[in-house]
Amino acid sequence: MPEPRARPLELADLSVMIGGQGGDGTLTVSDLLGRYFRKRGLYVYTSRNVLSRIRGGHADASVRASRDATAAVKAQVDVLVAFDQQAIDLGRAELASHGFVIYDSTTFRSDLPNAAGFPFATLVGGPLGQPIFKNTAAYGALSVLFGFDHTQTREVIEERFRRRSPEALEKNLKALEIGRKAALEAPGVAHRFSVVDGEAHDLILTTGNQAVALGFTVGGGRFFAGYPITPATEIMEYLQRYLPPLGGVVRQAEDELAAINMVIGASYAGARAMTSTSGPGLSLMTEGIGHAATAELPILVADCSRVGPSTGQPTRHEQGDLSHLANLGHGEYPRFVIAPADPVDAFGMTVEALNLADRWRVPVILLLDQALSQNTTTTRRFDLEKVVIDRGPRLSPEQVAGLAEYKIYGFSENGVSTWAAPGTPGVWSEVTGNEHDEWGHVSVDPVNRRKMMHKRMEKMQKARDELPAGRLFGPAHAKVGLIGFGSTSGPILEAQRLLESRGVPTRYYQARTLYPVPAHELDPFLAGVDVAYLVENNYTGQFARLVRETVPWHHAKLRSILKYDGASFRAPEIVAGIREAA
Amino acid sequence: MPPKSFKPVQPIWCPGCGDFGVLAAVKRAAANLHIAPHELVLVGGIGCSGSIHNFLEINGIHALHGRLLPQAIGVKLANPALTVVAAGGDGDGYAIGMGHFLHAFKKNASILYLVMNNETYGLTKGQPSPTSQIGFEGNVEPPFHAMLTALSVPAPNFLARTFSGDPKGMTAILEEALKFNREGRGFAFVEDLSPCVTYNDTYKLWREKVVDVTTLPGYDPTNRRTMFGLCLDQIEQGRFPVGVLHRPSAAEREGLEVKLMGDGPGPVRASSDLASNRAHYEKLLAALA
Repeated sequence: MPEPRARPLELADLSVMIGGQGGDGTLTVSDLLGRYFRKRGLYVYTSRNVLSRIRGGHADASVRASRDATAAVKAQVDVLVAFDQQAIDLGRAELASHGFVIYDSTTFRSDLPNAAGFPFATLVGGPLGQPIFKNTAAYGALSVLFGFDHTQTREVIEERFRRRSPEALEKNLKALEIGRKAALEAPGVAHRFSVVDGEAHDLILTTGNQAVALGFTVGGGRFFAGYPITPATEIMEYLQRYLPPLGGVVRQAEDELAAINMVIGASYAGARAMTSTSGPGLSLMTEGIGHAATAELPILVADCSRVGPSTGQPTRHEQGDLSHLANLGHGEYPRFVIAPADPVDAFGMTVEALNLADRWRVPVILLLDQALSQNTTTTRRFDLEKVVIDRGPRLSPEQVAGLAEYKIYGFSENGVSTWAAPGTPGVWSEVTGNEHDEWGHVSVDPVNRRKMMHKRMEKMQKARDELPAGRLFGPAHAKVGLIGFGSTSGPILEAQRLLESRGVPTRYYQARTLYPVPAHELDPFLAGVDVAYLVENNYTGQFARLVRETVPWHHAKLRSILKYDGASFRAPEIVAGIREAA
Repeated sequence: MPPKSFKPVQPIWCPGCGDFGVLAAVKRAAANLHIAPHELVLVGGIGCSGSIHNFLEINGIHALHGRLLPQAIGVKLANPALTVVAAGGDGDGYAIGMGHFLHAFKKNASILYLVMNNETYGLTKGQPSPTSQIGFEGNVEPPFHAMLTALSVPAPNFLARTFSGDPKGMTAILEEALKFNREGRGFAFVEDLSPCVTYNDTYKLWREKVVDVTTLPGYDPTNRRTMFGLCLDQIEQGRFPVGVLHRPSAAEREGLEVKLMGDGPGPVRASSDLASNRAHYEKLLAALA
């Protein structure tokens, strides 16, 4: 029997982990809790851990609610909701000392001390005819455990199920009451915790993938071809909704080879075109990306990285594609690899990526990772005011008519040639991955080859000041530096706060352009600190290697904090990493 | 005076190459249909035949080996107003590009895919290709018959086979195929028997063994089952059927680009600017909760 508590434990930053068999509805519980916490003005961050299968097998989800903005999984679990034994086994290690477990005692018993078991499946199965409502009953029990406001608790159910059917809504409301009643009758459960109110209102809950799809849409993207692959698929699915009403096209291709080449064709014809993929697909697309760079066709490729190589762990998080992206493909060609840190950044950077691709006529790779792609986070609304569309040196039919000659690969000061979409009256051209002269004629002339190599390769230096600038966090005087990119920013920012509270001020450089490696940002940053920890989710320290190669004179200051177990960083792990490396 | 544009170069082909016949027929068909150079896009594959776009006064793209079909389909979907031809060889289309080849029938975008089949990899000096006969350069695998595969996909495609030794017949078929595309009716696949005079000179054999399918009893290009049987019989007798093999009976606009966009704008002409779409975007963003 759980010990009764005198007063509820007030939580300003809490985490609930929900685990069960796939199909148990763990994601529904996570969604309901997220909705409730948002009503209370809290920041919400949810993550999921699913197996690569449709049904069955253990799956869990976690919801973090916090008064402070957060974009990381909390290290400790305050409440564990278990629909199977595995949830207990997996959650045990992360459960806080004050932690509490709510579990479905229909099928198993928990051996943890602070736990309350309810036969949710049986409780709902009788009156509602189906055990599937056990997840909503568990939400009901949680509402009692946290002392939720009853009206708001019901509103969440109404908002979620209203659109389904009146029957679904009615049954879920009943399941909620069944769960509530059971929890109220159990000793030591009611109001064990309480939740503070926050001030995070008028925010949206979204993912990196949705942000990319929206950024592409408002950035004028009108052609997408892709192939389903976790964790990138949602980009294609969102675009299937967003683009057709605007006259755009979304195609699911037969493979990634077709996807990248359809995108190349659409770009050639003048559309803003994009594909999205993950490691295995990126490998297949690599030849196409090199072709686009040599043919000087702007394309956008979103790589949502996962655990590789091969099939690896398709649903798990890793930042292991960077070395590949920096060295992408055979031969040498320009490419920009840019990495947003959160959904707002992903939205803005997708628009920026389209502009960069058009202005410089190069492939741009938008690098995300599983956590950024799929975890949901409350964030401020995307801002249309900041969106600018720049299609680069594209000629109108009138401008074309005024030309003496139309050279598709004409030399220019910044290496970018003016062009007109095929179909423009009076002109035609030859676009090719063969080395070519200014007209597009195939050329093996060594003088021309050198000139063309300079034309293309120098785009990387010349574009430097237009590429997304890194961001700095923390006091300028701090002597301990942190470096990271992508979703790792969330836990790094949290680690900074933990370190600050322990009297260790840190300065964090969030890299947003990864290739070409921004030496002009890294050099002054590293000059200002005594030591810098590169925090990344891979085994070899891929960004650290690029940094060492780029600013070798800072070599002695660099340390790596690496994690490659398929999960994103928890802030205390970064703090511990600094202690160990110090 | 329009600006000076890309000027074609002299073909790299060996004298007598079957591809010269194709080049001439493409020029004639485009001229007969009054297609202006700027309206025509030719996506070339890799191989001798895939260089054809360098020899024409049109918009050319040189695709990656085996990837000309997805590139051509991308062009067509981005701007349906363009006339799009993909042209390459049998190795490019039936070996490295086989996956896209099969899907092109089913996608049914209104482009013309022209394969110059010489039953060998000429540019790399005469290795056996997917269509090589048993015994050619040690080949032990039976030849692939693209036309039988094409006939087996139940899609409203235009399917035909031509022979470089009959440029007039080829011109007529290419004209019909391009017209089919320009009406938005779907995918047209034309395989041309185009001998490689250096590594696999089949002129003599093909002159003797080509059979005009239209002269065969029971010829019905609207009936796949019949045409499959007719072709298979000829192939089994060591002959090479040529002519229109399939022509959809209904003149409907079944092209993928029509299905996706109707007579709408297509992505290139769809507005990608901010101002004209602002209200729509605001609604989209407001829906996020």
